[in-house]
Amino acid sequence: MATSVSFPVPGPGPAPVVGTAGLSAPVQASLWSDAWRRLRRNRMALISAVYLVILVAVALVALVHTPYSYREVGVARPYSGPSWANWLGADILGRDVLSRLMVGAQISLIVGVGTQVFVVAVGVPIGLLAGYYKGTVDSVVSFIINVFYGIPDLLVAMILLLLLGPSLNNIIIAIVATRWMDMTRLVRGQTLALREREFIEAARSSGAKPAKILFGHILPNSLGPIIVQATFGVPAAILFEAFLSFLGIGVQPPTPSWGSMAADGLAAIRIAPHMVIAPSIALSLTLMAFNFLGDGLRDALDPRQKR
Amino acid sequence: MPTPILQVKDLHTEFLTDGGVVKAVDGVSFDLYPGESIGIVGESGSGKSITALSILRLVPDPGRVVSGQVLFHDQDLLQLGGEEIREIRGRDIAMIFQDPQSSLNPVLRTGFQIDEAMLAHNKANRKQARQRTVELLRRVRIPAPETRVKDFPHQLSGGMRQRAMIAMGLANAPSILIADEPTTALDVTVQAQILELLADLNRDLGTAIVMITHNMGVVAGLCSRVLVMYAGEIVEQGPVEQIFEHPQHPYTWSLLRSIPRVDALRHERLRSIEGLAPDLLHPPAGCRFHPRCPFRVEKCFTDEPRLQEVAPDQLAACWVTMERARKEMGADDLIDIRPGAGSGLRKGELTE
Amino acid sequence: MLNRGTLIYISQRLVLIVFTVFAVSSVVFLGIHRLPGDALFNEHLHGTQYQLLLHHYGLDRPLWDQYTSFLTGLFLHGNLGESLVNRGVPITPLVLRELTVSAEVGLFALLFTIGLGMLLGVVAAIRQNTWVDYLLSTTSVIGYSMPSFVIATFLLLFFAVWLDNFTQGTFYFQIGWTGRFGTIGEIWLPAFALGFPYASIVARLTRASMLEVIRQDYIRTARAKGLRETVIMARHALRNALIPVITILGPLVIGIITGGVIIENIFGIPGLGKEFANSILNRDYNIVIGVFTMYAAMVGLANLGVDLLYVVIDPRIRY
Repeated sequence: MATSVSFPVPGPGPAPVVGTAGLSAPVQASLWSDAWRRLRRNRMALISAVYLVILVAVALVALVHTPYSYREVGVARPYSGPSWANWLGADILGRDVLSRLMVGAQISLIVGVGTQVFVVAVGVPIGLLAGYYKGTVDSVVSFIINVFYGIPDLLVAMILLLLLGPSLNNIIIAIVATRWMDMTRLVRGQTLALREREFIEAARSSGAKPAKILFGHILPNSLGPIIVQATFGVPAAILFEAFLSFLGIGVQPPTPSWGSMAADGLAAIRIAPHMVIAPSIALSLTLMAFNFLGDGLRDALDPRQKR
Repeated sequence: MPTPILQVKDLHTEFLTDGGVVKAVDGVSFDLYPGESIGIVGESGSGKSITALSILRLVPDPGRVVSGQVLFHDQDLLQLGGEEIREIRGRDIAMIFQDPQSSLNPVLRTGFQIDEAMLAHNKANRKQARQRTVELLRRVRIPAPETRVKDFPHQLSGGMRQRAMIAMGLANAPSILIADEPTTALDVTVQAQILELLADLNRDLGTAIVMITHNMGVVAGLCSRVLVMYAGEIVEQGPVEQIFEHPQHPYTWSLLRSIPRVDALRHERLRSIEGLAPDLLHPPAGCRFHPRCPFRVEKCFTDEPRLQEVAPDQLAACWVTMERARKEMGADDLIDIRPGAGSGLRKGELTE
Repeated sequence: MLNRGTLIYISQRLVLIVFTVFAVSSVVFLGIHRLPGDALFNEHLHGTQYQLLLHHYGLDRPLWDQYTSFLTGLFLHGNLGESLVNRGVPITPLVLRELTVSAEVGLFALLFTIGLGMLLGVVAAIRQNTWVDYLLSTTSVIGYSMPSFVIATFLLLFFAVWLDNFTQGTFYFQIGWTGRFGTIGEIWLPAFALGFPYASIVARLTRASMLEVIRQDYIRTARAKGLRETVIMARHALRNALIPVITILGPLVIGIITGGVIIENIFGIPGLGKEFANSILNRDYNIVIGVFTMYAAMVGLANLGVDLLYVVIDPRIRY
């Protein structure tokens, strides 16, 4: 979903090399400090970063302490609204919504960050190889990427979960399996562009091994776009998990997910609207924060590409 | 003396940029008489195109016409409302542009884009407009115009596109046609054909032409009068033959020398004008050409010269003028010019 | 426009779509049939009754047999088999009916996405660097950060809960649709929720491409011939600005198809998406295979449609 926003493809024809413009020069320390300075000036990105730090803190706190147990039923009257005892009210079984929201934050963050770790682990090497060796390897990889872009990712993930069975690990696998190609396409484009540059030529002619060139030269110079892409990938994955859990094929009860909490709340929307409002707002804010941060990072790491 | 149909008086056009105000056109005045053909010549950045765009108020952002008058049939175009100036555009004063490739809309059929010029001014219904479009295309010598009207711009050659642009300009039989470097993007043989076409139209239809160009050669074939612009100002103007024979401003003189000549000595290098075009954000004090002028004197650094009559019908803005430069500084002997009083490489001092 | 080259291109693409449908349905069929447990299993049937049902669905035959009869059924008769849960219900007519429902919602959403998105984008471009522009660039991030089901939720809260007296339960999701097709009154809310996140993407893209286009020489030409500003924008600028927007139509259609799964569930719309989610929850594998096959064909056709749209919009492109 949101990933298609990160690098809009301009003009007709084959997908162009994306995001290569600014970072093609050899890595310099000043690049990162410049980027940091630009990022600090971006107010929306900064607010988002603060929000995300708080969110991570909440998720960590929830590991050791929540107001109530997320699975303890009847701590309040079912469907009861926000009160001093239950800040965000209670759900259908009288469980504390705030506690469940906090645990849900853990799930969202694990899925969001976890998928991107695997997406980087899978997408980056494939992209590097396809871009570096070109020819057949590249054709095969490009073909597979296009096939994956042509299939409705959510539906495939649903079928995968049906095959694998619903669990947090399998959700991550399903998301990685359907979204790995964003990163691969990016890294492939970066590599294709960088391998023609003088400093790569120089390294090659001085006898450096492909592995040394790929991981010592090309990868460090692609780090900026990779970070940006991964940042945009996190909200996409969180949204994906919420979708799946909303439909009841993601995280299984009693473990709370923002998606399944919203689904529960939707069923009781007339009598207890707080049940659906709380997870919806948490989810929207989190997605927004990652997207604003991604925008900020993109502008900071590559000012020329600013739109 | 007939009355001019277009009078430009003390036109000032400025661009507000991050660095400050750029005076792209700085006090330009000239008259255009019915059926006449004048050339406005200068390097890129001299303000010649902006002058042309200012007449029809087509100056792109962040440019603004800040003062002056453009009188057309006694009404000041600069004071007209949006709808009134729209009615003048394309109907009374038409304009054609440099690059026919980018000046025609790629997604609309060529014929339709010409029809449109007439339809916009309610000159004809669709059927009549199409008939006239075919006639116009024939008039500008496009072969098989009946089928060409249905072509998209990318299906035409560069020369044909420029002919179609000219046809579009002529669609409403305007009394003035402004041509902004119409031949620059074309190859040489096509250039000649387009110029010939414009000369014919000027003669046969009596359309007055304002030709904007950086090329003195283009002016020679087409225009009766020429205005030379430098750094937003007119530095010399007069009848074409007279200017070609006896240029009085050193800038005009060096422009004329930069035309490649067949009879040039083999060892002579193509003469170009030394130095950079002036920075309009910080124009030089005194005469704006003085940093590049081979014949400058002390006065040129401090005092700005005004246009004054240097010969019958010929005006130039220069403290020295070529007459004196010839006599006192041996201008005719210079084969390679450098800034400074009469400096440069002279005949007999060969390089290499 | 429809010259020989284009026709050849279309037929090549159609062959490719058939091949994709074959590949996708095969993978899903073979994948799912390796699973232990099915809809029949869940009912705790025993003995002959169970054996009879297995035989009825051909599940007692070897996998290869089942596969070939599935393929011949699909490609020769367009037969997708029978529902495992609702016995005796043939899947093909069911899925086709649901397809029309989903297509109705999807097309409205698409119309809405493109209409609103382009309108906002054009306004922002023409009023560049004014408050309209700034408002839009900020709200567009908010727009695509709001999942469609969150938007749907708030729309429901607003129209079906807080304005219940006014809307008379038209939108209440558990009621679903009254007729076979949704009325305009029933359809605009789900279409809005489905299209909104994409509308902000389209708006962003339109703004950027419009800003590019209005700087072009041919816009100056159009002004120089005395066209009205509205004509210049509508006829000369917008059409060119559309070209980059079409590139995201493909992903957009896929997004609307997948988003439809959620929206149809929320609003109780009897379409393909609701069927797909239900059949996955019910383990009605035959329907899962059938609906997914349908989706594969739809995505293929939609992408073909997008590619053909290029030809219509941009005369420079020929296949």
